[in-house]
Amino acid sequence: MTKHHAAPGISGRIFGLETEYGLLVQGSGPEELMEESRLLVAAYPGVWAGPWDYRSEDPRRDTRGFRVDHLSYDHTDAAYDRPDRGSHLTGEQQRSDRVLANGARLYNDHGHPEYSTPECRSLRDLVAHDRAGERIILECARLREREIGRAVSLFKNNTDFHGASYGCHENYLCRRDVPFEKLLNGLLPFLVTRILFAGAGKTGVETGGGPLAKECLFQLSQRADFFTEIASVDTLAKRPIFNTRDEPHADPRLWRRLHVICGDANLSEFATALKVGTTSLVLDLIESGWEPLFRLRDPVKALQSVSRDPSFRWLVELDDGRTLRATDLQRIYLRDAQALLAGGDVDTDWTLREWERVLADLDRDPFAAEDRLDWVAKRKLLETYIEAEGLWWEDPALRSLDLAYHDLDADQGLYAALEEAGQIVRLVDEERITCSTQRPPSDTRAAVRGELVRRFGPEAARIGWSRVGFKGGDRPHWAPLPVELGSEGVSALLSRLGAVKTVPEALRCLREESGEVDDPQRI
Amino acid sequence: MILKGFEIRGQERIQRPTPQEPFTRPGDGDGPKAPNVKRPDPSDLLKRMRRVDPDQARRYRQRSGE
Repeated sequence: MTKHHAAPGISGRIFGLETEYGLLVQGSGPEELMEESRLLVAAYPGVWAGPWDYRSEDPRRDTRGFRVDHLSYDHTDAAYDRPDRGSHLTGEQQRSDRVLANGARLYNDHGHPEYSTPECRSLRDLVAHDRAGERIILECARLREREIGRAVSLFKNNTDFHGASYGCHENYLCRRDVPFEKLLNGLLPFLVTRILFAGAGKTGVETGGGPLAKECLFQLSQRADFFTEIASVDTLAKRPIFNTRDEPHADPRLWRRLHVICGDANLSEFATALKVGTTSLVLDLIESGWEPLFRLRDPVKALQSVSRDPSFRWLVELDDGRTLRATDLQRIYLRDAQALLAGGDVDTDWTLREWERVLADLDRDPFAAEDRLDWVAKRKLLETYIEAEGLWWEDPALRSLDLAYHDLDADQGLYAALEEAGQIVRLVDEERITCSTQRPPSDTRAAVRGELVRRFGPEAARIGWSRVGFKGGDRPHWAPLPVELGSEGVSALLSRLGAVKTVPEALRCLREESGEVDDPQRI
Repeated sequence: MILKGFEIRGQERIQRPTPQEPFTRPGDGDGPKAPNVKRPDPSDLLKRMRRVDPDQARRYRQRSGE
């Protein structure tokens, strides 16, 4: 450990998840997924506003202080976009963005229905909204089924087993004054090894190369095969462990948004909470001045070797030549987090306690965590099936069972069966999940966004994470959504908004609360 | 411990004591909570696994995600 001072704890940070769902429509192929995904999103029956405020975004801007002229793309995937398959719709129309009354964003992201949770400050809120996204997208699928008379299936996973991967990205608001190198060096060993508890599990290896590619029949992570770089701005190809996209969705002088793309989509509520809770605590450490006294020799190789290690020893090589178990590397982060952050808030203490318990289980007997971790639960299921049916791990049917684990259909999904059977630890109840499909968290700007959608949705011209533009003349009339809003600020703002009846009154109210001069023509 | 297709070298592991405290305790405030976990009937899970179309993964094709 180096010099440090106390950090605020998990409730002091804003975070969210964006999940791209796998989509299977009976009778349709991958070349039709862009349209199928668009139509699924368009089936959303609830209150929404749009279109999205794309002017606030620039995915080519790198947090290291430059902008790339293009992003890498997947040549195999690009073949689905041949000109003769082109759509008459604009890119924006294809994306079909909907901002929902719970503050979330629902849209078609490159052939995947994607649900971005509203901004959250508590792990329980995050889990509830992540699961609310499952319910919302599943409802859209059921409506599409009725419309077209064909089966529509959704999978919360990250691979199609044919080389295409899609993400579950995490977002964490971070301080801008922490140098990039400190963020990178502090996070890399953690991100590489957290698949021990955050991996969703996968049968086999898809890329054909890298460590243990021939020996591996089951690995911890869905995504590890698809990462080839340490840090870059790309997300579609040449994927990096540390994504450097610089879109803070907040005042860029004060904030960065850490965009983590190397994680798996978790079905387990516990794994989702532990993944986000531990990552938030590591960011607390780094923001307090903490720096790790070690680096991985080859982070990409380490990610794959930990994921694929059939011995469960999970060894990683440090740049000084030492070899360390990944559980022990995680424990270095844990011990320092316990020393510096314990007592910060209830989520911090829950995370510290469960992090320690999971690492102990992984050292002693990984299968003791089958009620909490996706990869363990999946592996146990597959072993049960192999034993009962007399199969071997190489049997191709196992990939279908792997896929079925992630099926959102309560009557088909294997995770759903475990949950129904009470075999999986739950963190939120159904009532809270249902409530989260309609209501935003009460302690972030999402509450204001949701209120504006609910009351003034049809009058929105553009809507995004950090501002809302209302129709009026040639240009939208913008109202800011400050990321700094906390529970008290939200409550005061909602109280004032409750008293206004028109959009101009709402605009004035929002601008006054954010300290901005009221200028209706401002962009 | 030998599983079909896997060799797990449990004896090479570092052994550490496991915390004895329960997963959640009364007074955890508003942090995440876990209900009691019941054991399922394994035959029900097997039935569902046997219903899975073994060719489903072969037909499953997706676009790469952004």
